[in-house]
Amino acid sequence: MNRTGFSYDFRHANLVSIGDLNPLDVRMIFERSTIHFDHNRAGVRAERTLDGATVINLFFENSTRTLASFEIAAKRLGAHVINFSAGSASISKGESLEDTALNLAAMRPDIQVVRHSAAGAAAHFARVTGVSTVNAGDGAHEHPTQALLDAFTLTRRWGEVGGRRILIVGDILHSRVARSNVALLNMLHADVRLCGPATLLPEDADRWGVQVFHDLEAALEGCDAVMALRVQRERMSGGLIPSDREYRTLYGLDHGRLEHAKPDCLVMHPGPMNRGVEIDGALADDRERAVILEQVEAGVAVRMAVLELIGAASPNQRYDDRTKGGAHS
Amino acid sequence: MSAILFRHARVIDPAARHDAPGDVRIRGGVIAEIAPTLTPEGGERVIDLDGAVLAPALIDARCWVNPASTGQSGIDAAARAAAAGGIGTLILAPDSGTGMSRPEHFAAIEAASLTSPVRLIASGLAIDAQGEMGEIGLMLRAGAAYVGDGGRPEPDTRLMRRALAYASGFDAWTAMTCEDAGLARGTCATESDLSMRMGLPARPAAGERLAVERAALLAELTGARILLDRITTAGALKALEAALARELDIAATAPVTHLMFNEMDAGGFDARFRLEPPLRREEDRLALIEALAAGAIAALVSDHRACTGESKAHPFPEAAPGSANLEALLSALCSAAAEGRLSLIDALWPVTAGPADLFGLNQGRLAPGAPADLVIFDPDAPVIYGRGGRVCPAPSAFENRRMTGKVLITLVEGAIIHQPEG
Repeated sequence: MNRTGFSYDFRHANLVSIGDLNPLDVRMIFERSTIHFDHNRAGVRAERTLDGATVINLFFENSTRTLASFEIAAKRLGAHVINFSAGSASISKGESLEDTALNLAAMRPDIQVVRHSAAGAAAHFARVTGVSTVNAGDGAHEHPTQALLDAFTLTRRWGEVGGRRILIVGDILHSRVARSNVALLNMLHADVRLCGPATLLPEDADRWGVQVFHDLEAALEGCDAVMALRVQRERMSGGLIPSDREYRTLYGLDHGRLEHAKPDCLVMHPGPMNRGVEIDGALADDRERAVILEQVEAGVAVRMAVLELIGAASPNQRYDDRTKGGAHS
Repeated sequence: MSAILFRHARVIDPAARHDAPGDVRIRGGVIAEIAPTLTPEGGERVIDLDGAVLAPALIDARCWVNPASTGQSGIDAAARAAAAGGIGTLILAPDSGTGMSRPEHFAAIEAASLTSPVRLIASGLAIDAQGEMGEIGLMLRAGAAYVGDGGRPEPDTRLMRRALAYASGFDAWTAMTCEDAGLARGTCATESDLSMRMGLPARPAAGERLAVERAALLAELTGARILLDRITTAGALKALEAALARELDIAATAPVTHLMFNEMDAGGFDARFRLEPPLRREEDRLALIEALAAGAIAALVSDHRACTGESKAHPFPEAAPGSANLEALLSALCSAAAEGRLSLIDALWPVTAGPADLFGLNQGRLAPGAPADLVIFDPDAPVIYGRGGRVCPAPSAFENRRMTGKVLITLVEGAIIHQPEG
């Protein structure tokens, strides 16, 4: 796919929120993701569209898979990658986070990938540093690349998510994955449902353009895909849910529950899973139903697409004169 | 199960607001026919009631037991006392024993149900004594009628809000104790001229009103169905009326003791009148009767608790709160009706149709096909609530009280479970 194939340019130097994107942007990301996905699977080396660029992964919150996914994505495109994570000395020396970010920005990276426990952190770092920023999760606000990889996984399976019924089950209240997914799936005209105990659903979630359920079996009716969210242990105390036993009984996904959905309903999970709590181990391992590893695989491809599109649109792009004005030439 | 024809009854069905002479036939555990006159059929037992009242057996929505006990405070003793009191359905309080917060805690109730003369229904703790949420969903699935704070008002409003929101997902009633935790702590009386003269640690009646206003706001915020557990003061009843007028999902229970007694009864430091909530002023008692007549109280509860003699043998503030009331419930209602402040049918509504509607029970009404859970009583017969004549001899505020209203027969599912004169 050549950039000239589009009559539209990807204009975003940052990806903080799904709301930054329009459906055409998403289509561009998916088209590039498809190429990367096929290449990755076939073992074909990617075009080095970020050759010589510097990507900083600024992870103020612990992460294994998301960090690895971004790192692999950037490296496959030929970028230099530097990781700063929560435990590392540079972050724990007592310097304020903002100073850390400004210092790193002064080293002129091309893109920074930010994860932080506070909502709005990615937007904040983008603003104060002026560096192209990809949000890798900011508190309970958004995790846009997760939503993109989820929708991409479904699009690969179905060709189109529009008109499909997709259910998200679990701790919606504290979930950035859910917020990004609701925004993206709504943009793509899917029929979105949310289900969980009232304590884990935001007040007024029914105004998000979704249908809200407290009963999982009712919610599963007619679903094409269901996504289980991780339930954090700390939710068990503090009056949000009584026990993991009750949660499993009422909201845990298993083969029996899935009988209420469409016969070929897909099962998703953004990971890491609590087997036996929000999802039954046997279901998670059922490759006919569960596309959980496919999501992880898609994650690298989608992040490659996002990084290269943002890199090309970035005003501080300096790394390769060749690609100026056309990232994929 | 054999058929029985009750003739010449005064049939009172609060659900249908029916109060007229008539005959009632039961067959196969259910009510078969109700008519002004029915002709006996072959093989049918005929009982001539000679004008006695026939009404749905009572439903008591709050009775504390200790499921681990085989004595006075145990389930069996409570069930037998209930049968003698004309009660057909007993809902055990969430704080029963050491508190019921998991479905496993219902095991003793389920076991007792196999031999119990009356129907036993559990209820569960929404928040346990450690401030953790009970397994609300699993307990409701296991048959709990409602969940609640179990007599311990939750001071943490955020935790309460969460418990209410969670329970609202199951469309269940959550009982909230009508007290303010801070104001009620360490007190045993209502703040008044009398309690102050007596030097008793007391709580203001305003604490109860505060609890009602708080519950109303939480009902609005969470959309939960809130059952105000044991409302007793005039101010709180006004707040309840306002909440009901706003069409919030709120209902209230009231303890039968507060219908009969006021703070003067406890004036002699008599530990039998050490109750929770404490006895109130006379105007509160009258307001409660008025609310009952107006239908504002969804369930009148016995609030039965069999205390041991030792736990009562202390100075008033240190005596255990509670009173054995199961056998006094119906007489107390008949006496209130005899005082002329409310009709018998209004007095019976919150112990039959009221709680049945609240918890979606089939019993509690007289209609063909409904369970034959019946009480037959003489509303005018004088009774003395003496220790000798009772199934449950535990200390009671009603001790030696002269009342009217005597239970003649109690039936559950068509079977006679209590009939003192054979």
